[in-house]
Amino acid sequence: MRCRRITVLAVLVLLAMWSLGFGLARAQDAPVRGGTLVVAIVSDPGHLNPAITTSGATHAASELLYNGLVGRDERGDPVPELAESWQVEQGGTVYRFRLRDGVKWHDGKPFTASDVKFTVEEVLLKFHARTRASMGSLLAGIEAPDDRTVVFRFKQPYAPLLYQLDATEAPIIPRHVYQGTDPQTNPANSNPVGTGPFKFVSYTKGTEIRLARNPTYFKPGLPYLDSLVMRIIPDLSVQVLALENGEVDFLWELPGPLQSRIKSDARFQTARTGYHPGGSNCIMTMSFNLDRPVLKELRVRQAVAHALDRQTFLSQILFGDGKVAAAPISSEIPWAHAAGLAMPKADRAEGEKLLDGAGWKKEGEGPRTARGVPGVADGTRLSIDFLHFPTFAKYGELVRQQLAVVGIGVVLKPLEPAVFAPTVFKDRNFDSNVISYCNGPDPEIGVRRMYHSSQIGPAPFTNAAAYRNPRVDALFDEASRTVERDKRSRLYRQTQEIVVQDLPYYWLVETVSTRAWTARCSGFKAWTGLFAEGASCRR
Amino acid sequence: MPSRYLLRRLAQVLPTVAGLLVLNFCIIHLAPGDPVIALGGEHGDAAYYTFLRNRFGLDRPLPEQLLTYVANVLRGDLGTSFVHGRSVTGVIAERLPATLLLVSTALVLSSVAGVGLGTLAARYRRRPADVALNTAALLGYATPSFWLGQVALLTLAVGTGLFPVQGMTDARNPQTGLANLMDLLHHLALPAIVLAVNELALTTRLVRTGLLEAFGADYVRAARAKGLPEALVIRHALWNVMLPVITVIGSRAGMLLSGAVLVEVVFAWPGLGRLLLSSLLSRDYPVLLGMFLVISVGVILANLITDLAYARLDPRIRYQ
Repeated sequence: MRCRRITVLAVLVLLAMWSLGFGLARAQDAPVRGGTLVVAIVSDPGHLNPAITTSGATHAASELLYNGLVGRDERGDPVPELAESWQVEQGGTVYRFRLRDGVKWHDGKPFTASDVKFTVEEVLLKFHARTRASMGSLLAGIEAPDDRTVVFRFKQPYAPLLYQLDATEAPIIPRHVYQGTDPQTNPANSNPVGTGPFKFVSYTKGTEIRLARNPTYFKPGLPYLDSLVMRIIPDLSVQVLALENGEVDFLWELPGPLQSRIKSDARFQTARTGYHPGGSNCIMTMSFNLDRPVLKELRVRQAVAHALDRQTFLSQILFGDGKVAAAPISSEIPWAHAAGLAMPKADRAEGEKLLDGAGWKKEGEGPRTARGVPGVADGTRLSIDFLHFPTFAKYGELVRQQLAVVGIGVVLKPLEPAVFAPTVFKDRNFDSNVISYCNGPDPEIGVRRMYHSSQIGPAPFTNAAAYRNPRVDALFDEASRTVERDKRSRLYRQTQEIVVQDLPYYWLVETVSTRAWTARCSGFKAWTGLFAEGASCRR
Repeated sequence: MPSRYLLRRLAQVLPTVAGLLVLNFCIIHLAPGDPVIALGGEHGDAAYYTFLRNRFGLDRPLPEQLLTYVANVLRGDLGTSFVHGRSVTGVIAERLPATLLLVSTALVLSSVAGVGLGTLAARYRRRPADVALNTAALLGYATPSFWLGQVALLTLAVGTGLFPVQGMTDARNPQTGLANLMDLLHHLALPAIVLAVNELALTTRLVRTGLLEAFGADYVRAARAKGLPEALVIRHALWNVMLPVITVIGSRAGMLLSGAVLVEVVFAWPGLGRLLLSSLLSRDYPVLLGMFLVISVGVILANLITDLAYARLDPRIRYQ
């Protein structure tokens, strides 16, 4: 009897403890209203109009002020934002959007369909590089038949539209503020008016941008924070020190060498994402100049691929923060990524065999020597140059080390971006290079430009290899016109199978960004520019 | 006051600035690099880059661009920033106060403390204080300011929590009035000390060497023979030592500005140094040219002020 009483008592105590603990946990999880979040950003944005630029600095600092028609969820799929619903008609030639009712600009004026039409036609198609390059030539027109309906009409079926309407790709700006002005010099660029979760308060150039809660935000209850400060701290390691010192709460980019220190500290939390406001889903890619006789030979390119141990790149450069590229399209676009593709494996012996077969013979120490290589004089040493941004110097070092083992000499040429781009894409004065090719939210935006023969220079960061394959061109063209995702997926898979065979590039590692924040804050959406829309901080 | 001398010197400034204007323009435009790459991002098409080049007048022949630029400068217009989309004058004016505050604080710190420490070292020549100061000065002169900044952040800011890591003010709790001033001084202390260290070391060594030389001069021996207190003797000697020290301080103003670039990046100090770096990376030609002009004029004026200070310090110098 006594034993039973003790058991009952114990159960009651446990129940009480559990409910107390659960209550506490619930209290901790429940968003707290109020407070200030301090976010570290790397660069002074210059202005706060994300519709006239693709600059990561401007987008990181300003996207919380705006919205797109369509947002993206954690998997990258479209979700309602300013548009509450949409219909795809005429096989992907017409997109009809129904806008939310009652959305207001920060200055109190109503948001209408005419704002969307104006933003796309007068601003995005002229000044936003990605929008202009992707849909500029295909868009027949935009109609706004009433205040809550917007219709996009294309000249042919256009598949990726829903992936390029978020605040990063197509932020909507107010027509009543910008109409009749030059969008690039309008004073509102430094005193912005949006529909987003936060309103503009002040911008002290070079120092910080202060935002305040938008009390009339169209998403009920959001945001939780009263204010948000974007503090400009150019050095990433200083940002980490500021986080540790409690001066900032959120970092966009936690540098690799400092990750273990922050991740092992219970005061902080981290999350990895392929999203970056300047360009998402990036792959560090080695380009081969196919116009050069040495690299025109497939066996040499295959030998390079076999000689490179990409796991070393991941561990030594990214400190494990990323992935070895498993296909030419990023795994962050899962429906387009060709999982299970047979990529060249790190195999030095195979690399040496391929070079021998191509006529590059090992004769003593140092680089191999040409013996009967077409287009190359006998006795020529096998040496290629490798262009890279100064920030990618470690990639150059590893490439040089690993290719030396199989007898390929590498001359490193660090060039800053403003010099690198014309050297590679305009002058085509290089053998090989490394570029962080960002795939974007859809392959049509960031992948096509690498492979389509129409994309060979002089525009920067296009088809660096000068790769020409009519079959690949046709597959990309068909994919851009195909709205059904399964069918597009199959087309992109075929494309990736072909380019892995042809090897105009070698895909090294997928890079990701690691966000870090103080553990007293939660509710961040690391995969979008509206990252603090639902964030809250305990005091 | 030598007003004719001053007018003549100011007249010399104009052709110097004009020459610098053309030289800076040519150097910037002849250096490799293309601003539209930084402006357009990596996803634009060829037409977009052509549009940008045309919009900013970069498609016109270089001599025409130079003539337009010089004509605009003569009208007081330094142009519009490619990146900021606003007038260069405005962009620079926003950043100038922060740099002036940092650089002038560092200059005052290094000059006052350098004279004091140099005097101390000379007064106690070959004693432990002199040896310690000499060693510290040598180390201080040889230490790069960006490295010293990182060490100061780790030890004095994060380590002790005495100083903030970054910025000019507290982002979380903005202050007003006197509290704001105290907050500003709190944020200024560490970057100003780090920027001052190099100059402090140089001034200390200069003053010490000058004083030791002066201590052997007849006028000092005579003063001591008359029984003047040592403090007064040092004051007399110091007055004579100041001429080369002022020369060096004046001519180092430009060096201090270049040092400010690194210190401003390390401490996230929102001044001209950081603007210079970001404008260089994005090839924002109008801002770069505007900043070169401001810095050149600053250095020329610092040298002019140094020359004028000579007469105050040494009555033997006459301006003609």
